[in-house]
Amino acid sequence: MDSLNRFWTGQEVYITKIFLPIIIGFLILFIGLLAIFALSFWRQHYRLWHLGKEENRSDHGATRLKTLLAVTFSHLRFWKELYPSTMHFLIFWGVILIFMGKIVRLFSYPVGLTNPPQNIFKYASCVSEIGGLLVIVGGCLAVYRRYVVKPPRLETKPTNTLIYFWGAVLLMTGYFVKGYRIALIGGSAVPDWLSWAPVSYLISRFFLILPTQPLNELLVWHRVLIHALPAFLFFAYVFITRTPLQHFFLSPINVFFRSLRLKGILAPIPNFEEAETFGVREISEYTWKQLLDLEACTNCGRCQDVCPAHLTQKPLSPRRMTQNLKNHLWREGPKLLSAPPDQRQPEAIMEKTVGEDELWACTNCMACEEACPVYIEQISRNIDLRRYLVLVETKYSSDIRLTLKNLEKSNNPWGMARGLRTEWTKDLGVKIFSEVTDPEILFWVGCCGSYDARNQKVATSMVKILQASGIRFGILGNEEGCCGDPARRIGNEYLFQMTAEANIEIMKGCGVKKILTLCPHCFHTLKNEYPQLGGKFQVIHHTQFLTELISSGKLKLTKPINKVITYHDSCYLGRANQIFDAPRKILKSIPGLKLIEMERHHNRSFCCGAGGGRMWMEEHIGTRINQMRTDQAIEVKAELIGTACPYCLTMLFDGIKEKGEAETMAAFDLSELVEQSM
Amino acid sequence: MEGFFRPIAIVVEVVILMAVIYSLFLGVKFSVLDFGLEEKYKSFICWVFMIMGCLALVFFIAHLITFYPRLSV
Repeated sequence: MDSLNRFWTGQEVYITKIFLPIIIGFLILFIGLLAIFALSFWRQHYRLWHLGKEENRSDHGATRLKTLLAVTFSHLRFWKELYPSTMHFLIFWGVILIFMGKIVRLFSYPVGLTNPPQNIFKYASCVSEIGGLLVIVGGCLAVYRRYVVKPPRLETKPTNTLIYFWGAVLLMTGYFVKGYRIALIGGSAVPDWLSWAPVSYLISRFFLILPTQPLNELLVWHRVLIHALPAFLFFAYVFITRTPLQHFFLSPINVFFRSLRLKGILAPIPNFEEAETFGVREISEYTWKQLLDLEACTNCGRCQDVCPAHLTQKPLSPRRMTQNLKNHLWREGPKLLSAPPDQRQPEAIMEKTVGEDELWACTNCMACEEACPVYIEQISRNIDLRRYLVLVETKYSSDIRLTLKNLEKSNNPWGMARGLRTEWTKDLGVKIFSEVTDPEILFWVGCCGSYDARNQKVATSMVKILQASGIRFGILGNEEGCCGDPARRIGNEYLFQMTAEANIEIMKGCGVKKILTLCPHCFHTLKNEYPQLGGKFQVIHHTQFLTELISSGKLKLTKPINKVITYHDSCYLGRANQIFDAPRKILKSIPGLKLIEMERHHNRSFCCGAGGGRMWMEEHIGTRINQMRTDQAIEVKAELIGTACPYCLTMLFDGIKEKGEAETMAAFDLSELVEQSM
Repeated sequence: MEGFFRPIAIVVEVVILMAVIYSLFLGVKFSVLDFGLEEKYKSFICWVFMIMGCLALVFFIAHLITFYPRLSV
């Protein structure tokens, strides 16, 4: 008799008298539980999401499904951090394997698959045993991290502890059931069960056998019940109560409905002309996807760990803000649903749930979105709150007031006269675009390049490069206005649209096809946001353009710069537009220049602190973000910091001065370095 | 030998059973609070479950001492 038959011969009584009734009962109850789950899903989640405004997220179904499968099963977005990723991966796959084994066994009894015994049972047993082992290892890693290491980003609630505890009890009682059954038929009599049920087999060696068959039957019955009943109630707890474990369905839903646009692209206010209110005052003014985002947040804290505002002691933690908004939704949502629409008195989000300092501390750097494993969109949510404050309540700081006033009056954030926009071009021989014969490209200088003394040098370098390369280019001159990025990120959508429409009209009037920008903010706005208003142009950033010139041989870099340089990735060039290689190619083309990376680079880069309109706001709280970024460059012993953004250049230039490193370190735009090397 | 193992086996059983009971009661407590029961009832629920837990503990100990069979090692 082989071991399988021997095992089954000893097990028949347990199957027919104990397991079969319990399994049938479990399945019946489980069907009921699924019905309750469907009801609670509708009541606790779906209805709340649909308090929000409509938004189409059902396009490109195949792409969405592909992302969902990749992110879920390979943990695609997790592996930036090895420890928590390994931990979650082990628990996730462990649970999947346990369920695979359990499902085979659950359904094999009622359909008679195991009578006569078949090998599938052995494989199912092995799979769930290994699954359990993975969960134990992953669970131990998780418990060690949460209760011993205690990283500040993790918020441990009593329900987290309960889930670990309950899960451990279920695993233990599960292994005990099989271990006891193996012990009953004599563990040594079926030695190959070490391969098919390794953990249970080892445990079985420690079990004491009761003297009579009926007593053993009774004990097995007890053991199965002690495992199955808490398991069923665990499902009930997880399915029906809002536990952190509900992320097992909320996160995949959120991943499926993620934004397919590039990061950082803001949606315009719909029906702007007829709208009675703008932005978001209360929770139901968010879209349904934004409300789903709140519920999908797993409180993992990855966003908090990368947020420059949080790391410099500002009162902003993207994790905490999302959790607070989630609690606001859970508190206010049911009240809104129970009241007739005309009698609803929704509580405002600002002040009680989100503080003003918290909101304005955001630099729109998108590091939180990049870090989020479930694609939660934080930036658009913050901008919606800003839109309400700016457009409806006109409630903002004096810095913002001045910036917006300057933009309205002078079409640049500094309030400099429009007529001074081309002052920097004196003696450079730069022509206005409409005056150039057969122009190839419009050089969009931007406000920084036009007015800021440090960035005027960058614009000058770029002009010299263009002239040296024989490119037929022109500028808009005094007709150029702010691209609208500061107004839009501050929340003044009206001003953005006015500015953008004026620019689009001018460029269309001049017959502009291709635009070269120095500034990633202008680049992003012109390339990705102007099409929303009908401005479709081919937009190229100067790092891409310089790379093309160098690769094609139009630009020869011969003079060496014997320095160690680190490159600072601008948020709107890197994270938003995925341009990481072009700047590095340029630096590698310059003879003598040695490129080293800071700890945070590429899509993990650290903001300079100027995005989201922060360039024009004072930084009163905590450490200055630009100083922290400068420290990161000092750490790698760089002599130069290379940038490709006027905001970053200004912030790092200031950072170097503030840190007292001006003697040993300098910040340059890449075009300046290229010009030096020509 | 038998007299030595039986109390240990009973203690192990009691620990497992109380772990199950603890999980269930805590789960029920969190669930009812999540379903909207006011926070002021939290301590009342705690006391009720603590008393029920103590009763369960006494029952398990008595039940196992009375019915847990003699062991043959």
